[in-house]
Amino acid sequence: MTTTIGLEIHVQLATQTKMFCGCGTAFGDAPNTHVCPVCLGLPGALPTLNAEAVRLATRIATALGCTVHEVSEFSRKNYFYPDLPKSYQITQFDRPIATGGSLPIVTERGARSIRLTRAHIEEDAGKSMHAADITLGGETLVDFNRCGMPLIEIVTEPDMQSGDEAYEFLRNLRRLVRWLGVSSGDMEKGAMRCDVNVSVSPDPAKRGTKVEIKNLNSFRSVKRAIDYEEQRQAQCLGDCTPIMTETRHFDEVQGTTTAMRSKEASNDYRYFPEPDLPLLQLDPAELASLRAQMPELPWEVQSRFERDLSLSPYDAALLTEERSTAEFFQQAIAFYDNPKKVASYMGTEVAKLLNERGKTLTETQLTPATLAGLLMMVEHNAISNTASKDVLPLLMDTGTTPMEAVRSLGLEQVSDTSAIEGFAREVIAENVIQVEQFRGGKEAVLGFLVGQLMKKSKGKANPKLAGDTLRRLLK
Amino acid sequence: MSSELPRTLEHYRHAVRAHELSAEEYLDETRQLIERGDPQVKAFLHLRLDTARSDAQASNPSSPLAGAPIAVKDNIMMAGERCTCGSRILEHYVAPYSATAVQLLLAAGAVVPGKTNLDEFAMGSSTENSAFFPTHNPADPTRVPGGSSGGSTAAVAAGFALGAIGSDTGGSVRQPAAFCGVVGFKPTYGLVSRYGLVAFGSSLDCIGPIARSVRDAAIMMNVMAAHDPKDATSVKRPHVDFEAALQPTLAGKRVGIIRELQGLDVQPEIAAAMEMTRKAAVKSGASIVDVSVPHILSALPVYYIIAPAECSANLGRFDGVRYGLHIDGRDMTETYSRTRNAGFGTEVKRRILIGAFVLSAGYYDAYYRKASSVRQLIADELDAALQSADVLLTPTTPTTAFRIGAVTNPLEMYKADVFTIPANLAGAPAVSFPAGKDAAGLPIGLQLMGPRWSDAELLSSANVLFTALGGES
Amino acid sequence: MAMIIDKETLEHVASLARLEITAEEEGPLLGDLERILGYVAQLSSVDTSAIVGKRPAMTELRPDEPCEGLTREEGLGGAPAMYDGFVVVQNVMGAEDE
Repeated sequence: MTTTIGLEIHVQLATQTKMFCGCGTAFGDAPNTHVCPVCLGLPGALPTLNAEAVRLATRIATALGCTVHEVSEFSRKNYFYPDLPKSYQITQFDRPIATGGSLPIVTERGARSIRLTRAHIEEDAGKSMHAADITLGGETLVDFNRCGMPLIEIVTEPDMQSGDEAYEFLRNLRRLVRWLGVSSGDMEKGAMRCDVNVSVSPDPAKRGTKVEIKNLNSFRSVKRAIDYEEQRQAQCLGDCTPIMTETRHFDEVQGTTTAMRSKEASNDYRYFPEPDLPLLQLDPAELASLRAQMPELPWEVQSRFERDLSLSPYDAALLTEERSTAEFFQQAIAFYDNPKKVASYMGTEVAKLLNERGKTLTETQLTPATLAGLLMMVEHNAISNTASKDVLPLLMDTGTTPMEAVRSLGLEQVSDTSAIEGFAREVIAENVIQVEQFRGGKEAVLGFLVGQLMKKSKGKANPKLAGDTLRRLLK
Repeated sequence: MSSELPRTLEHYRHAVRAHELSAEEYLDETRQLIERGDPQVKAFLHLRLDTARSDAQASNPSSPLAGAPIAVKDNIMMAGERCTCGSRILEHYVAPYSATAVQLLLAAGAVVPGKTNLDEFAMGSSTENSAFFPTHNPADPTRVPGGSSGGSTAAVAAGFALGAIGSDTGGSVRQPAAFCGVVGFKPTYGLVSRYGLVAFGSSLDCIGPIARSVRDAAIMMNVMAAHDPKDATSVKRPHVDFEAALQPTLAGKRVGIIRELQGLDVQPEIAAAMEMTRKAAVKSGASIVDVSVPHILSALPVYYIIAPAECSANLGRFDGVRYGLHIDGRDMTETYSRTRNAGFGTEVKRRILIGAFVLSAGYYDAYYRKASSVRQLIADELDAALQSADVLLTPTTPTTAFRIGAVTNPLEMYKADVFTIPANLAGAPAVSFPAGKDAAGLPIGLQLMGPRWSDAELLSSANVLFTALGGES
Repeated sequence: MAMIIDKETLEHVASLARLEITAEEEGPLLGDLERILGYVAQLSSVDTSAIVGKRPAMTELRPDEPCEGLTREEGLGGAPAMYDGFVVVQNVMGAEDE
């Protein structure tokens, strides 16, 4: 059985205003408060194209390796729906801003490059909420705040072959749009939406019947829906039930897809060139400069971390989740040239504290210099690794330096050999049984004795020195 | 009308600035004319005379329009006023914002006495398609004023306003101007903002001034011609003073006569007016040249594909969800259909259906795409013709105003747009000016067209001929 | 001669445009549309093979700066049904976000 999957992804561009009018784009405000004649489709209103939306779209299209067309055209896509005020959507049909391109993914199957068909810009429709969500009966509520929001629609070739691949594609695309500052990529806030086309065929040379799936609210749902649909179609093929070319709705709760009640007979969108918008002409010099100024892409950084810095795939992936994290890491290792230690510490202690605080790295006061400084203090035994975990919160929450933080917490590591020897003799005197056990051959007991010494020193003793001293005295 | 009262914007402004007259006085006189005459003419759909009086009182004589009454066609939005577009679907709709052109006029001191009648959604050539009532031609109340801006031209002709604005998609400012005996100007597409003009044929629609003289039209253009960032089809042009650009002579100008239009059936008096005007042009120093626009007769079928196509999309927004007429059905689809069926008149429905048809799968290439190509062909041919002529002279209409109810065949009505449509297809400026009367005393209008962006030169040439033929009627 | 537009096509086009054609309207409308479409069909004989489209390009795009819009009342004051700031419509078939 071969599964063929194509995705149609709508990404909301991170602009201040909508695609064709100056209304604000903030999410979550009271319904119908970001509206104007243009996005409400009032009589006489006209669209004006957002320059920043074009810039962001060109940036992402360039990063995806698309051919960015200097000249593109807008079109009207005509259909009736309550959340579409003009009863047409301004989109790009015949002459999109970009064609081609690709996005790499890595799954258990290996590394692949998923080809793209095209990318174009268009406006979003309003948001409809249905009777189930509110207390009215049999009615739909419409909020036009979202109407007119700027979108880039990215269409893939049907190159994916599993739910996992689709999932990875979406994750990597989200990473990319965030990396470039083009979009928040938040599916929960509707900044990224995805429709899926799936077909299953017993013969790899022939494609099966294409089924579209809508209402997918998370990457996970996309995977679940595909997995279910794969199964369903395989079953149909098995028992010779015909597979209908249709649009199916994904049920979050059941994890199944169901046929949607047929909308209307045929959706003839009657596309024609948008007369209210002249052609979009991009400046070739700006395009060239955009290409030249494109930062290293997340997967390129990820590979480089693995290849040149010998980081584990896990660490490399974690560090390149967000551009700010990768940049932080690179700056930190410029101060303290131990990528593995920095990566590990960022992936464990730093990540833990960020999680607790519900913050991102850049929202804290921790800087690459202060993190590097902290780790260097550990390396030089100025403090113990354990103690560093107490220092880190202070660095994160205040703008203090590691030195100041250590001093204020009184955590300077004791490496004074005589002090440690003093503690060691006390420990030996107080723990006769364990001393006998160690002398009798039980190596593991040394750990307990070291622990007792650490307690006596209030965690400040250099653990290695503690262990060595004890061993020496117990010989 | 009192012979002492100014009959043109130019004279009105002069009188007000010379303190011979105040804006309120003029408005009071105009009000009387309206109250006496409009019940018969029915130029207005809504009047706002009390508010207009306060506006007149507050107006500044040094402003470009000095408190002059300027009527606005009811498909152009004016904040706080109803904007029905002559349709039941917007019968009670009140505009929450003003069109840019209206804002400019108001800022220049215009006072709006009311919104004028039109063919529903600007579709028609007689104002008989208004859902409310037809307007009557002041020259002969049994006859149409033309359309679709029939209310605006009738208002100016009857003295209910010193000027008016209308919209011209296939001739809707020029043709009624001709029928009513006033000046009607369609500027180059993109010169006057369309923001706030309820769209009919987006690539064809132009707002244009209607006035008693060409100079008055130029005065209004000085107010309205401005780049508008709210209209992406609005073009930034170097500043022009249209009034100052009016020259008294046609010396050195070449007036082109389009060969392919010569065979068309035209009312004899109109043909005679053409001859008279040609002579006047020559007398003023112009030469007459014969030019060819080989596919000019294809302009009509091109228009009747493109305009309906664009309108079918433009009128989709009238669905009763956010504003306007709303009639419930059993479900949303039925609600849409019931609302639109009840709200739209027959001509509008016809055009929406044609439009949807020519854009639909299987027909798009043969109809819409083909029409777009022929449109480009005609525009190119007009450009070429305007290499050997500075302006082109044609009748505005094949006949003078017909009787109300006389033309019922839609195709017959469409074919009368033969002279006006080419300018809309090409985006070129064109003006209709009065050129005498026919045997029944009905106004005759002739048209001058020029290359795109030659609006000032075009008005200048028209002014020479307008003056030579007797000036403001 | 084959009709350009028959009853079925008219119904299909009307449904696309959300127009309800009544029985009385149908006959005359079909006649009018047939004549009009027949008239405009003459364009097929015009040779446009050498024609190059010449649409102008936008010269300036709108800067991404918020500007004042309409209040809910100004924009939707004429809506037939509102609830809690939302516009109310009948449930749409098979509906969810497009």
